[in-house]
Amino acid sequence: MVRLESIRDCLEGVVPGNIATCAPDGTPNVAYLSQVQFVDSEHVALSYQFFNTTRRNILASPYARVSVIDPHTAAHYRLSLQYLRTEDSGPLFETMKVRLAGIASHTGMSGVFRLLGSDIYRVLDIERVPGETVVLPPAHRNRLSSLRACSEMLCGAADLEGLLSRLLAGLARHFDIEHAMVLMLDEGGGHLYTVASRGYPSSGVGSEIALGDGIIGVAARERTPIRIGHFAAEYSYGRAIRSGLEQSGVSGIETEIPLPGLPASCSQLAVPIMACHTLVGMLYVESAQELRFGYDDEDALVALAGQLGAGLRVLQHTHEGGEDVAEPQPSPPPARGRAVTVRHYAENDSVFLDGDYLIKGVAGSIFLALVRDYVDKGQTDFSNRELRLDPRIRLPEISDNLEARLILLARRLVERAAPVQIEKTGRGRFRLRVQRPLSLVQA
Amino acid sequence: MPSSLPPILDLAHAEFISGAVSINAASCRPGGFPALARGLGCRVAEDCNSVNVIFGVKAAADVLDGVRRSGALSVVFSEPSTHRTLQLKGEDALVLRLEPGDADRVARYRDAFVAVLAPYGHTEEMVRALLACPADDLVMVRFTPTSAFSQTPGPHAGEPLAGAR
Repeated sequence: MVRLESIRDCLEGVVPGNIATCAPDGTPNVAYLSQVQFVDSEHVALSYQFFNTTRRNILASPYARVSVIDPHTAAHYRLSLQYLRTEDSGPLFETMKVRLAGIASHTGMSGVFRLLGSDIYRVLDIERVPGETVVLPPAHRNRLSSLRACSEMLCGAADLEGLLSRLLAGLARHFDIEHAMVLMLDEGGGHLYTVASRGYPSSGVGSEIALGDGIIGVAARERTPIRIGHFAAEYSYGRAIRSGLEQSGVSGIETEIPLPGLPASCSQLAVPIMACHTLVGMLYVESAQELRFGYDDEDALVALAGQLGAGLRVLQHTHEGGEDVAEPQPSPPPARGRAVTVRHYAENDSVFLDGDYLIKGVAGSIFLALVRDYVDKGQTDFSNRELRLDPRIRLPEISDNLEARLILLARRLVERAAPVQIEKTGRGRFRLRVQRPLSLVQA
Repeated sequence: MPSSLPPILDLAHAEFISGAVSINAASCRPGGFPALARGLGCRVAEDCNSVNVIFGVKAAADVLDGVRRSGALSVVFSEPSTHRTLQLKGEDALVLRLEPGDADRVARYRDAFVAVLAPYGHTEEMVRALLACPADDLVMVRFTPTSAFSQTPGPHAGEPLAGAR
């Protein structure tokens, strides 16, 4: 028997599939299928969009025949299926809903297609239909060797920043994926913030997206990878971020950092970064090319995200294994020139430098603590450990994401060309480089 | 068995289903198990009463077996560019040999379908392979449509065609 996982390319819906069913009186029916979703080696899911003859027939007799065609080779297969159940919520349903939205907008069917349920079928048999096929040249990339090479790069990372930059470099070098971003789950759990990106005109570091918004937010909420091959307007994150922030009630203060993204994004893949059943963040990749990511890419990136999740967890806790002893540093040059106003808004810990928005939330309170210690005591050298114990910052006890927040803060300061910069001075240690006097104002 | 009632199809329908449309047919196997196959061309009788759909014998073996046992056949015709879709059902289907000119019809259908799918990125090689069949492996199924439904996706999907009985 042909195995389902070996014909997954036929399930991308490039050539529409068909489903045949029989009424109790023996009248056959054939209909087009929007989606045949691979579930596992023994199950597929079909989209249930309308109550029609197919649906009536399947409820009366659970057997169906489905044909699928490889869009590149023309290899033609027929699946014998047995209907098991319908799901109308959960990860599979949400995945199919997002994918259907992509298919609908690609085929000019937006507004017509609405997913009522995901029908789960057991695959009883797969038959190869006799016929000619096209011989293809060997694949450009072997996903397993790409995964191995990328995985080895991740293993070489000594800290969180290194891990993130190795990941983005590895995706580009070994998977030809040029547009990618990593988002971390906020401690409160309600949204994700961008901590690293590659391939965009602006990095978007610090931008946020709410759980449930856009393809990234839906994939995060459902803890499931979602991959679409055609642009779906209703899952565009550009739109999602605005609505997400409006709901979060940031009032009167312009603190929105635009999420990066390709203006003409056609293929998108959002993969949850999990560590021991816990969502840590999201890996998101995209391309202007349609159908750029296949099932194999999804598998590889899910595996990589697993390693990333474990790596993030381990490296976040390296402080427990000690940190570098503070080495004597030459005294920094004194700050000169006009004072920069550092304005802090307590309601959301947002910080503005001379009226320009810098950062908010936990990263904002970290920055405030650093600036206060600098202004009050002239302190420029800090350790992660003291920040962790600092009651002003209010870090959660478990999974505090301090390192991720520091990366975020350091990158924002670089991007804003701020007269204050954060410079690593060793493992778990850093120094504040202040070029101009700071004037702290509590709003 | 030819029907004495007026045909369901008009000339416009006949032209549509004989054109460069995707053709898929189903029959029913003993035990209520469906069979499914792809059509390789279609010809409508001049009086619009009967429809002839051409298949490859090997690729459509199950459908042909179902037709021989029950005579029941459903065929769906869909235009890739517009998604306009029509389903015909009959109860008197017969498996027959091709008639003169039908093999050429299959070749013309293949050429037309290649042209229709080209803008969607499907290569000529792929479409030709999908519809390839040796001339001596072709067979025809003739039936009288007794019901016809629009299956164009949308609110009217599944509605009987005007004049359908």
